[in-house]
Amino acid sequence: MMQIDAIPLELKYRIKYPDEFIQALKKGEILATKCKNCGAVYFPPQRDCTNCGKSDMEWIKLDNEGEIMTYSIVVQKPQGFEDKGNYVIGIVKTKDNNFLMAWIIGEPKVGAKVRLTTDGYRLIGEVIG
Amino acid sequence: MGRKVGIIGVGNSRFGKRDDVSVQELAWESIKEAFEDSGITQKDIDFVVVGSTAYRGVELYPAPIVAEYSGLTGKVPMRVEAMCATGLAAALTAYTAVASGLADIAMAVGVDKMTEVDTATSLAIGGRGGNYQWEYHFYGTTFPTYYAFYATRHMAVYGTTEEQMALVAVKAHKYASQNPKAHFQKPITVEDVLKSRVISWPIKLLDSCPISDGSATVIFASEEKIKELKIDTPVWISGIGYANDYAYIAKRGEWTGFRATQLAARQAYEMAKVGPNDIEVATVHDAFTIAEIMGYEDLGFVEKGKGGKFIEEGQSEKGGKVGVNLFGGLKAKGHPLGATGLSMIYEITKQLREEAGNLQQPLKNYIGLVHNVGGTGHFAYVMILRR
Ligand SMILES: [Zn+2]
Repeated sequence: MMQIDAIPLELKYRIKYPDEFIQALKKGEILATKCKNCGAVYFPPQRDCTNCGKSDMEWIKLDNEGEIMTYSIVVQKPQGFEDKGNYVIGIVKTKDNNFLMAWIIGEPKVGAKVRLTTDGYRLIGEVIG
Repeated sequence: MGRKVGIIGVGNSRFGKRDDVSVQELAWESIKEAFEDSGITQKDIDFVVVGSTAYRGVELYPAPIVAEYSGLTGKVPMRVEAMCATGLAAALTAYTAVASGLADIAMAVGVDKMTEVDTATSLAIGGRGGNYQWEYHFYGTTFPTYYAFYATRHMAVYGTTEEQMALVAVKAHKYASQNPKAHFQKPITVEDVLKSRVISWPIKLLDSCPISDGSATVIFASEEKIKELKIDTPVWISGIGYANDYAYIAKRGEWTGFRATQLAARQAYEMAKVGPNDIEVATVHDAFTIAEIMGYEDLGFVEKGKGGKFIEEGQSEKGGKVGVNLFGGLKAKGHPLGATGLSMIYEITKQLREEAGNLQQPLKNYIGLVHNVGGTGHFAYVMILRR
Protein backbone atom coordinates (compact mmCIF):
# COMPACT_ATOMS: atom_id res chain seq x y z
CA MET A 1 0.00 0.00 0.00
CA MET A 2 1.57 3.32 -1.07
CA GLN A 3 1.78 6.08 1.54
CA ILE A 4 2.01 9.68 0.29
CA ASP A 5 1.92 13.12 1.95
CA ALA A 6 -1.49 14.80 1.88
CA ILE A 7 -1.68 18.60 1.70
CA PRO A 8 -0.89 19.81 5.27
CA LEU A 9 -3.53 21.76 7.17
CA GLU A 10 -2.12 24.67 9.14
CA LEU A 11 -4.45 26.19 11.72
CA LYS A 12 -3.67 29.63 13.14
CA TYR A 13 -5.90 31.08 15.82
CA ARG A 14 -6.46 34.57 17.29
CA ILE A 15 -8.12 34.55 20.71
CA LYS A 16 -8.98 37.19 23.33
CA TYR A 17 -8.43 37.60 27.06
CA PRO A 18 -9.79 40.33 29.35
CA ASP A 19 -7.31 43.27 29.62
CA GLU A 20 -7.78 43.47 33.40
CA PHE A 21 -6.76 39.83 33.85
CA ILE A 22 -3.60 40.13 31.73
CA GLN A 23 -2.57 43.44 33.38
CA ALA A 24 -2.99 41.85 36.84
CA LEU A 25 -0.87 38.83 35.83
CA LYS A 26 1.95 41.27 34.98
CA LYS A 27 1.70 42.65 38.55
CA GLY A 28 1.70 39.18 40.13
CA GLU A 29 -2.01 39.28 40.98
CA ILE A 30 -4.82 36.80 40.24
CA LEU A 31 -8.21 38.22 39.34
CA ALA A 32 -11.61 36.58 39.23
CA THR A 33 -15.00 38.12 38.47
CA LYS A 34 -17.77 38.54 41.04
CA CYS A 35 -21.43 39.19 40.33
CA LYS A 36 -22.57 42.49 41.86
CA ASN A 37 -26.12 41.17 42.08
CA CYS A 38 -25.78 37.71 43.69
CA GLY A 39 -22.11 37.54 44.72
CA ALA A 40 -21.17 34.46 42.65
CA VAL A 41 -17.41 34.31 41.94
CA TYR A 42 -16.03 32.99 38.64
CA PHE A 43 -12.61 31.60 37.87
CA PRO A 44 -11.95 31.37 34.95
CA PRO A 45 -13.52 34.85 34.89
CA GLN A 46 -16.94 35.15 33.25
CA ARG A 47 -18.57 38.38 32.13
CA ASP A 48 -22.02 36.85 32.50
CA CYS A 49 -23.45 35.44 35.74
CA THR A 50 -25.21 32.20 34.94
CA ASN A 51 -26.35 31.90 38.56
CA CYS A 52 -28.72 34.91 38.50
CA GLY A 53 -28.71 35.81 34.82
CA LYS A 54 -27.29 39.34 35.27
CA SER A 55 -24.13 40.58 33.55
CA ASP A 56 -22.97 43.21 36.03
CA MET A 57 -19.59 41.96 37.27
CA GLU A 58 -16.63 43.36 39.18
CA TRP A 59 -13.02 42.19 39.29
CA ILE A 60 -11.78 40.82 42.64
CA LYS A 61 -8.33 39.67 43.76
CA LEU A 62 -8.13 36.04 44.90
CA ASP A 63 -6.38 35.09 48.14
CA ASN A 64 -2.72 34.39 47.46
CA GLU A 65 -2.39 31.47 49.86
CA GLY A 66 -3.42 28.00 48.87
CA GLU A 67 -2.95 24.27 49.15
CA ILE A 68 -1.86 21.77 46.48
CA MET A 69 -4.76 19.37 45.82
CA THR A 70 -2.92 17.37 43.15
CA TYR A 71 -0.16 17.74 40.57
CA SER A 72 1.76 16.10 37.72
CA ILE A 73 5.31 16.45 36.42
CA VAL A 74 5.22 16.94 32.65
CA VAL A 75 8.14 15.11 31.02
CA GLN A 76 6.84 14.64 27.46
CA LYS A 77 6.10 18.23 26.48
CA PRO A 78 3.37 19.25 24.01
CA GLN A 79 3.65 21.68 21.07
CA GLY A 80 4.63 25.15 22.22
CA PHE A 81 6.45 23.85 25.30
CA GLU A 82 9.17 21.71 23.69
CA ASP A 83 11.94 24.12 24.76
CA LYS A 84 10.98 23.96 28.45
CA GLY A 85 12.58 21.68 31.05
CA ASN A 86 10.22 19.37 32.98
CA TYR A 87 7.56 21.45 34.73
CA VAL A 88 5.04 20.73 37.47
CA ILE A 89 1.37 21.60 36.94
CA GLY A 90 -0.78 21.68 40.06
CA ILE A 91 -4.36 22.24 41.07
CA VAL A 92 -4.49 24.67 43.98
CA LYS A 93 -7.31 25.44 46.41
CA THR A 94 -7.09 29.05 47.61
CA LYS A 95 -7.84 30.08 51.20
CA ASP A 96 -11.03 31.74 49.94
CA ASN A 97 -12.14 28.41 48.40
CA ASN A 98 -11.43 28.93 44.73
CA PHE A 99 -9.74 26.26 42.61
CA LEU A 100 -7.18 27.05 39.94
CA MET A 101 -4.39 25.60 37.84
CA ALA A 102 -0.81 26.83 38.38
CA TRP A 103 2.77 25.87 37.73
CA ILE A 104 4.32 24.70 41.00
CA ILE A 105 7.80 25.77 42.06
CA GLY A 106 9.56 23.90 44.87
CA GLU A 107 9.01 20.32 46.07
CA PRO A 108 5.44 19.38 45.09
CA LYS A 109 3.31 17.39 47.53
CA VAL A 110 -0.44 16.88 47.93
CA GLY A 111 -1.47 19.06 50.89
CA ALA A 112 1.59 21.37 50.72
CA LYS A 113 0.94 25.09 51.26
CA VAL A 114 1.78 27.44 48.42
CA ARG A 115 2.02 31.19 47.93
CA LEU A 116 0.29 32.18 44.72
CA THR A 117 1.91 34.68 42.42
CA THR A 118 2.67 34.90 38.70
CA ASP A 119 5.72 34.92 36.49
CA GLY A 120 4.16 37.85 34.66
CA TYR A 121 2.46 35.45 32.25
CA ARG A 122 0.93 32.54 34.20
CA LEU A 123 -0.06 31.63 37.76
CA ILE A 124 2.70 30.20 39.94
CA GLY A 125 2.38 28.40 43.28
CA GLU A 126 5.57 28.57 45.35
CA VAL A 127 5.72 25.81 47.93
CA ILE A 128 6.10 27.29 51.43
CA GLY A 129 5.69 24.10 53.48
CA MET B 1 -38.66 5.86 28.59
CA GLY B 2 -39.87 5.08 25.08
CA ARG B 3 -39.89 1.76 23.24
CA LYS B 4 -37.81 -1.24 24.25
CA VAL B 5 -34.61 -1.39 22.15
CA GLY B 6 -32.35 -4.34 21.39
CA ILE B 7 -29.08 -4.98 19.59
CA ILE B 8 -29.35 -7.18 16.50
CA GLY B 9 -25.91 -6.88 14.96
CA VAL B 10 -22.36 -5.91 15.92
CA GLY B 11 -19.08 -5.52 14.06
CA ASN B 12 -15.52 -4.61 15.01
CA SER B 13 -12.58 -3.98 12.68
CA ARG B 14 -9.06 -4.97 13.58
CA PHE B 15 -7.60 -2.15 15.71
CA GLY B 16 -4.03 -0.88 15.32
CA LYS B 17 -1.95 1.24 12.97
CA ARG B 18 -3.96 0.68 9.81
CA ASP B 19 -1.94 2.25 6.99
CA ASP B 20 -3.54 -0.35 4.73
CA VAL B 21 -6.99 1.28 4.68
CA SER B 22 -8.70 4.66 4.26
CA VAL B 23 -11.29 5.82 6.80
CA GLN B 24 -14.19 4.60 4.63
CA GLU B 25 -12.61 1.20 4.05
CA LEU B 26 -11.96 0.92 7.78
CA ALA B 27 -15.58 1.80 8.59
CA TRP B 28 -16.84 -0.79 6.08
CA GLU B 29 -14.96 -3.59 7.87
CA SER B 30 -17.22 -3.24 10.91
CA ILE B 31 -20.37 -2.26 8.98
CA LYS B 32 -20.06 -5.39 6.82
CA GLU B 33 -19.58 -7.58 9.89
CA ALA B 34 -22.63 -6.02 11.60
CA PHE B 35 -24.75 -6.64 8.49
CA GLU B 36 -23.63 -10.28 8.35
CA ASP B 37 -24.17 -10.66 12.08
CA SER B 38 -27.74 -9.31 11.92
CA GLY B 39 -28.76 -10.79 8.58
CA ILE B 40 -30.11 -7.44 7.36
CA THR B 41 -28.82 -5.13 4.62
CA GLN B 42 -28.69 -1.41 3.83
CA LYS B 43 -32.32 -1.26 2.64
CA ASP B 44 -33.57 -2.34 6.10
CA ILE B 45 -31.90 0.58 7.90
CA ASP B 46 -33.89 3.73 8.71
CA PHE B 47 -31.23 5.91 10.35
CA VAL B 48 -27.43 5.94 10.62
CA VAL B 49 -25.22 8.10 12.82
CA VAL B 50 -21.43 8.25 12.42
CA GLY B 51 -19.37 8.80 15.57
CA SER B 52 -15.93 10.21 14.82
CA THR B 53 -13.64 12.79 16.43
CA ALA B 54 -12.07 13.17 12.98
CA TYR B 55 -9.41 15.78 13.93
CA ARG B 56 -6.50 13.41 13.33
CA GLY B 57 -7.59 12.12 9.95
CA VAL B 58 -7.35 13.84 6.60
CA GLU B 59 -11.13 13.59 6.17
CA LEU B 60 -12.38 16.17 8.67
CA TYR B 61 -16.02 15.44 7.73
CA PRO B 62 -16.07 11.67 7.34
CA ALA B 63 -19.81 10.91 7.60
CA PRO B 64 -20.82 11.44 3.94
CA ILE B 65 -17.70 9.58 2.77
CA VAL B 66 -18.39 6.60 5.02
CA ALA B 67 -22.06 6.67 3.94
CA GLU B 68 -21.19 6.67 0.25
CA TYR B 69 -18.60 3.88 0.46
CA SER B 70 -20.94 1.69 2.53
CA GLY B 71 -24.02 2.13 0.34
CA LEU B 72 -25.83 4.08 3.05
CA THR B 73 -26.20 7.43 1.26
CA GLY B 74 -29.52 9.03 2.11
CA LYS B 75 -29.70 7.67 5.66
CA VAL B 76 -26.80 9.44 7.41
CA PRO B 77 -27.79 12.96 8.51
CA MET B 78 -24.99 13.59 11.02
CA ARG B 79 -21.69 12.89 12.69
CA VAL B 80 -21.56 13.14 16.51
CA GLU B 81 -18.60 13.84 18.80
CA ALA B 82 -17.99 13.51 22.56
CA MET B 83 -14.18 13.16 22.59
CA CYS B 84 -13.21 9.63 23.74
CA ALA B 85 -16.90 8.84 24.43
CA THR B 86 -17.90 9.52 20.84
CA GLY B 87 -18.81 5.85 20.33
CA LEU B 88 -21.43 5.83 23.08
CA ALA B 89 -22.65 9.27 22.02
CA ALA B 90 -23.38 7.69 18.64
CA ALA B 91 -25.00 4.71 20.38
CA LEU B 92 -27.21 7.03 22.46
CA THR B 93 -28.26 8.84 19.28
CA ALA B 94 -29.19 5.61 17.45
CA TYR B 95 -30.86 4.17 20.57
CA THR B 96 -32.93 7.34 20.95
CA ALA B 97 -34.02 7.20 17.32
CA VAL B 98 -35.46 3.72 17.90
CA ALA B 99 -36.82 4.31 21.42
CA SER B 100 -38.66 7.43 20.23
CA GLY B 101 -40.31 5.63 17.33
CA LEU B 102 -38.53 7.77 14.73
CA ALA B 103 -36.73 4.69 13.37
CA ASP B 104 -37.35 0.94 13.62
CA ILE B 105 -33.76 0.02 12.83
CA ALA B 106 -30.85 2.41 13.49
CA MET B 107 -27.13 1.95 13.04
CA ALA B 108 -24.26 3.60 14.92
CA VAL B 109 -20.91 3.51 13.12
CA GLY B 110 -17.81 4.61 15.05
CA VAL B 111 -14.58 5.22 13.19
CA ASP B 112 -11.34 7.13 13.66
CA LYS B 113 -8.19 7.06 11.62
CA MET B 114 -5.91 8.59 14.23
CA THR B 115 -2.48 7.76 12.82
CA GLU B 116 -2.75 9.88 9.68
CA VAL B 117 -1.10 12.74 11.63
CA ASP B 118 2.25 12.31 13.42
CA THR B 119 2.42 11.59 17.15
CA ALA B 120 3.40 15.17 18.12
CA THR B 121 0.36 16.60 16.34
CA SER B 122 -1.84 13.94 17.89
CA LEU B 123 -0.60 14.83 21.39
CA ALA B 124 -1.17 18.54 20.76
CA ILE B 125 -4.77 17.81 19.77
CA GLY B 126 -5.21 15.61 22.85
CA GLY B 127 -3.72 18.27 25.15
CA ARG B 128 -6.58 20.54 24.10
CA GLY B 129 -9.06 18.03 25.49
CA GLY B 130 -9.82 20.38 28.38
CA ASN B 131 -10.13 24.16 28.28
CA TYR B 132 -7.46 25.48 25.89
CA GLN B 133 -7.78 29.14 26.81
CA TRP B 134 -7.34 28.76 30.57
CA GLU B 135 -5.29 25.54 30.74
CA TYR B 136 -3.11 24.43 27.81
CA HIS B 137 -2.27 27.97 26.69
CA PHE B 138 -0.59 28.91 29.98
CA TYR B 139 0.41 25.57 31.49
CA GLY B 140 1.16 23.12 28.66
CA THR B 141 -1.17 20.37 29.85
CA THR B 142 -1.12 17.09 27.93
CA PHE B 143 -3.91 14.52 27.86
CA PRO B 144 -1.95 12.21 30.21
CA THR B 145 -1.40 15.17 32.60
CA TYR B 146 -5.12 15.41 33.26
CA TYR B 147 -5.34 11.72 34.17
CA ALA B 148 -2.13 12.10 36.18
CA PHE B 149 -3.91 14.63 38.43
CA TYR B 150 -6.36 11.87 39.34
CA ALA B 151 -3.60 9.29 39.82
CA THR B 152 -1.55 11.57 42.11
CA ARG B 153 -4.51 12.39 44.30
CA HIS B 154 -5.77 8.79 44.40
CA MET B 155 -2.30 7.72 45.54
CA ALA B 156 -2.16 10.46 48.21
CA VAL B 157 -5.68 9.95 49.59
CA TYR B 158 -6.08 6.16 49.31
CA GLY B 159 -2.53 4.87 49.11
CA THR B 160 -3.00 3.44 45.62
CA THR B 161 0.37 2.38 44.21
CA GLU B 162 2.09 2.48 40.82
CA GLU B 163 2.33 -1.33 41.05
CA GLN B 164 -1.46 -1.61 41.36
CA MET B 165 -1.88 0.63 38.31
CA ALA B 166 0.66 -1.51 36.43
CA LEU B 167 -1.52 -4.59 37.10
CA VAL B 168 -4.27 -3.01 34.99
CA ALA B 169 -1.88 -2.79 32.03
CA VAL B 170 -0.65 -6.36 32.56
CA LYS B 171 -4.24 -7.67 32.61
CA ALA B 172 -5.11 -5.68 29.47
CA HIS B 173 -2.14 -7.01 27.49
CA LYS B 174 -2.80 -10.56 28.66
CA TYR B 175 -6.31 -10.56 27.22
CA ALA B 176 -5.40 -8.50 24.13
CA SER B 177 -2.80 -11.13 23.23
CA GLN B 178 -5.72 -13.58 22.88
CA ASN B 179 -7.82 -11.19 20.78
CA PRO B 180 -6.70 -11.12 17.12
CA LYS B 181 -8.45 -7.75 16.61
CA ALA B 182 -6.44 -6.03 19.38
CA HIS B 183 -3.72 -3.42 18.71
CA PHE B 184 -1.18 -5.10 21.02
CA GLN B 185 -0.58 -8.83 20.74
CA LYS B 186 2.07 -9.40 23.42
CA PRO B 187 1.84 -9.84 27.20
CA ILE B 188 3.87 -7.48 29.43
CA THR B 189 5.02 -7.59 33.07
CA VAL B 190 4.62 -5.21 36.02
CA GLU B 191 8.32 -4.50 35.74
CA ASP B 192 7.95 -3.50 32.06
CA VAL B 193 5.31 -0.94 33.08
CA LEU B 194 7.27 0.46 36.03
CA LYS B 195 10.43 0.80 33.92
CA SER B 196 8.72 2.43 30.93
CA ARG B 197 9.50 6.10 30.41
CA VAL B 198 7.59 8.76 32.33
CA ILE B 199 5.14 10.76 30.19
CA SER B 200 3.47 12.92 32.86
CA TRP B 201 4.31 11.60 36.32
CA PRO B 202 2.95 9.31 37.73
CA ILE B 203 1.76 8.16 34.29
CA LYS B 204 4.29 6.21 32.27
CA LEU B 205 4.21 5.05 28.66
CA LEU B 206 2.82 1.60 29.50
CA ASP B 207 0.10 3.09 31.72
CA SER B 208 -1.26 4.73 28.57
CA CYS B 209 -3.45 3.49 25.74
CA PRO B 210 -1.97 3.59 22.23
CA ILE B 211 -3.04 5.81 19.34
CA SER B 212 -5.11 3.45 17.20
CA ASP B 213 -7.11 3.28 14.00
CA GLY B 214 -10.31 1.29 14.05
CA SER B 215 -14.04 1.06 13.58
CA ALA B 216 -17.01 -0.59 15.28
CA THR B 217 -20.68 -0.78 14.36
CA VAL B 218 -23.85 -1.61 16.31
CA ILE B 219 -27.35 -2.07 14.87
CA PHE B 220 -30.30 -1.28 17.14
CA ALA B 221 -33.92 -2.34 16.55
CA SER B 222 -37.31 -2.04 18.20
CA GLU B 223 -38.86 -5.03 19.99
CA GLU B 224 -41.52 -5.41 17.27
CA LYS B 225 -38.86 -5.39 14.55
CA ILE B 226 -36.80 -7.97 16.45
CA LYS B 227 -39.84 -10.30 16.60
CA GLU B 228 -40.60 -9.68 12.94
CA LEU B 229 -37.00 -10.47 11.93
CA LYS B 230 -36.96 -13.53 14.24
CA ILE B 231 -33.62 -12.52 15.78
CA ASP B 232 -32.79 -15.42 18.12
CA THR B 233 -30.21 -13.78 20.42
CA PRO B 234 -31.10 -10.12 20.86
CA VAL B 235 -29.26 -8.25 23.60
CA TRP B 236 -31.48 -5.65 25.27
CA ILE B 237 -30.54 -2.14 26.38
CA SER B 238 -31.96 -2.27 29.88
CA GLY B 239 -30.41 0.91 31.24
CA ILE B 240 -28.63 3.98 29.92
CA GLY B 241 -27.14 6.98 31.72
CA TYR B 242 -25.13 10.01 30.70
CA ALA B 243 -23.59 13.06 32.36
CA ASN B 244 -20.82 15.59 32.03
CA ASP B 245 -18.49 17.63 34.25
CA TYR B 246 -16.55 20.91 34.25
CA ALA B 247 -14.16 21.63 31.37
CA TYR B 248 -11.75 23.59 33.62
CA ILE B 249 -10.53 20.65 35.67
CA ALA B 250 -9.69 22.62 38.82
CA LYS B 251 -13.38 23.51 39.26
CA ARG B 252 -14.35 19.88 39.85
CA GLY B 253 -13.25 20.08 43.51
CA GLU B 254 -12.26 16.40 43.79
CA TRP B 255 -9.86 14.29 41.72
CA THR B 256 -10.19 10.71 42.95
CA GLY B 257 -13.08 9.72 40.70
CA PHE B 258 -15.24 10.97 37.84
CA ARG B 259 -18.47 12.60 38.99
CA ALA B 260 -19.83 12.18 35.45
CA THR B 261 -19.38 8.39 35.73
CA GLN B 262 -21.03 8.28 39.15
CA LEU B 263 -24.07 10.20 37.85
CA ALA B 264 -24.35 8.19 34.63
CA ALA B 265 -24.04 4.90 36.55
CA ARG B 266 -26.79 5.86 38.99
CA GLN B 267 -29.16 6.68 36.11
CA ALA B 268 -28.37 3.46 34.27
CA TYR B 269 -28.78 1.24 37.36
CA GLU B 270 -32.10 2.90 38.23
CA MET B 271 -33.44 2.45 34.73
CA ALA B 272 -32.31 -1.19 34.56
CA LYS B 273 -33.48 -1.87 38.14
CA VAL B 274 -30.20 -3.61 38.94
CA GLY B 275 -27.23 -2.72 41.13
CA PRO B 276 -23.45 -2.95 40.77
CA ASN B 277 -23.43 -6.38 42.42
CA ASP B 278 -25.55 -7.76 39.57
CA ILE B 279 -22.96 -6.93 36.90
CA GLU B 280 -21.03 -10.01 35.73
CA VAL B 281 -19.01 -8.62 32.84
CA ALA B 282 -18.07 -5.06 31.94
CA THR B 283 -15.98 -2.74 29.86
CA VAL B 284 -14.52 0.04 31.99
CA HIS B 285 -12.94 3.05 30.29
CA ASP B 286 -9.19 2.48 30.78
CA ALA B 287 -7.48 5.14 28.66
CA PHE B 288 -4.88 5.15 31.45
CA THR B 289 -4.47 2.51 34.13
CA ILE B 290 -5.73 4.80 36.93
CA ALA B 291 -8.98 5.21 34.97
CA GLU B 292 -9.86 1.53 35.33
CA ILE B 293 -9.16 1.61 39.07
CA MET B 294 -11.40 4.68 39.48
CA GLY B 295 -13.98 3.05 37.23
CA TYR B 296 -14.33 0.03 39.56
CA GLU B 297 -15.14 2.50 42.34
CA ASP B 298 -17.30 4.99 40.45
CA LEU B 299 -19.41 2.17 39.01
CA GLY B 300 -19.84 0.70 42.50
CA PHE B 301 -18.05 -2.63 41.93
CA VAL B 302 -16.01 -1.84 45.05
CA GLU B 303 -16.07 0.96 47.62
CA LYS B 304 -14.20 4.24 47.00
CA GLY B 305 -10.48 3.88 47.54
CA LYS B 306 -10.42 0.06 47.21
CA GLY B 307 -9.95 -0.08 43.42
CA GLY B 308 -6.26 -0.93 43.73
CA LYS B 309 -7.09 -3.88 45.99
CA PHE B 310 -9.83 -5.00 43.57
CA ILE B 311 -7.33 -5.59 40.76
CA GLU B 312 -4.70 -6.99 43.15
CA GLU B 313 -7.19 -9.62 44.33
CA GLY B 314 -7.98 -10.60 40.74
CA GLN B 315 -11.65 -9.66 41.09
CA SER B 316 -11.74 -8.01 37.65
CA GLU B 317 -10.08 -10.97 35.88
CA LYS B 318 -11.91 -13.52 33.74
CA GLY B 319 -13.84 -15.65 36.26
CA GLY B 320 -13.64 -12.92 38.93
CA LYS B 321 -16.50 -10.97 40.51
CA VAL B 322 -16.79 -8.78 37.40
CA GLY B 323 -14.79 -9.69 34.30
CA VAL B 324 -13.46 -6.31 33.14
CA ASN B 325 -12.06 -5.49 29.68
CA LEU B 326 -11.60 -9.12 28.73
CA PHE B 327 -10.93 -8.19 25.07
CA GLY B 328 -7.90 -6.09 26.13
CA GLY B 329 -9.42 -2.72 27.03
CA LEU B 330 -8.48 0.64 25.55
CA LYS B 331 -5.06 0.02 27.02
CA ALA B 332 -4.19 -2.92 24.76
CA LYS B 333 -7.09 -3.56 22.39
CA GLY B 334 -6.65 0.08 21.36
CA HIS B 335 -8.57 3.34 21.53
CA PRO B 336 -9.72 4.69 18.15
CA LEU B 337 -11.88 7.37 19.80
CA GLY B 338 -15.04 7.19 17.68
CA ALA B 339 -15.01 3.40 17.62
CA THR B 340 -14.20 2.72 21.28
CA GLY B 341 -17.67 2.93 22.85
CA LEU B 342 -19.25 0.86 20.08
CA SER B 343 -16.42 -1.67 20.34
CA MET B 344 -17.35 -1.93 24.03
CA ILE B 345 -20.94 -2.77 23.06
CA TYR B 346 -19.59 -5.30 20.52
CA GLU B 347 -17.57 -6.93 23.31
CA ILE B 348 -20.39 -7.12 25.88
CA THR B 349 -22.84 -8.34 23.21
CA LYS B 350 -20.40 -11.15 22.31
CA GLN B 351 -20.03 -11.97 26.01
CA LEU B 352 -23.79 -12.06 26.68
CA ARG B 353 -24.33 -14.29 23.62
CA GLU B 354 -21.48 -16.52 24.88
CA GLU B 355 -19.56 -16.02 21.64
CA ALA B 356 -16.34 -14.81 23.27
CA GLY B 357 -14.37 -18.06 22.94
CA ASN B 358 -11.25 -18.15 25.15
CA LEU B 359 -12.18 -14.78 26.60
CA GLN B 360 -15.68 -15.82 27.72
CA GLN B 361 -16.67 -14.70 31.23
CA PRO B 362 -18.79 -17.36 33.00
CA LEU B 363 -22.32 -15.90 33.33
CA LYS B 364 -25.36 -16.75 35.49
CA ASN B 365 -27.76 -13.87 35.00
CA TYR B 366 -26.40 -12.46 31.72
CA ILE B 367 -26.05 -8.84 32.84
CA GLY B 368 -23.24 -6.69 31.42
CA LEU B 369 -22.18 -3.07 31.64
CA VAL B 370 -20.49 -0.67 29.22
CA HIS B 371 -18.72 2.45 30.52
CA ASN B 372 -17.24 5.06 28.19
CA VAL B 373 -15.61 8.33 29.36
CA GLY B 374 -15.09 11.37 27.13
CA GLY B 375 -12.13 13.68 27.58
CA THR B 376 -10.76 13.46 31.11
CA GLY B 377 -14.11 12.98 32.81
CA HIS B 378 -15.83 15.64 30.72
CA PHE B 379 -18.44 13.15 29.53
CA ALA B 380 -19.50 9.74 30.77
CA TYR B 381 -21.95 7.16 29.48
CA VAL B 382 -23.05 3.91 31.12
CA MET B 383 -25.15 1.29 29.37
CA ILE B 384 -26.50 -1.89 30.94
CA LEU B 385 -27.11 -4.81 28.59
CA ARG B 386 -29.03 -8.04 29.23
CA ARG B 387 -29.75 -11.08 27.18
ZN1 LIG C 1 -25.30 36.70 39.79
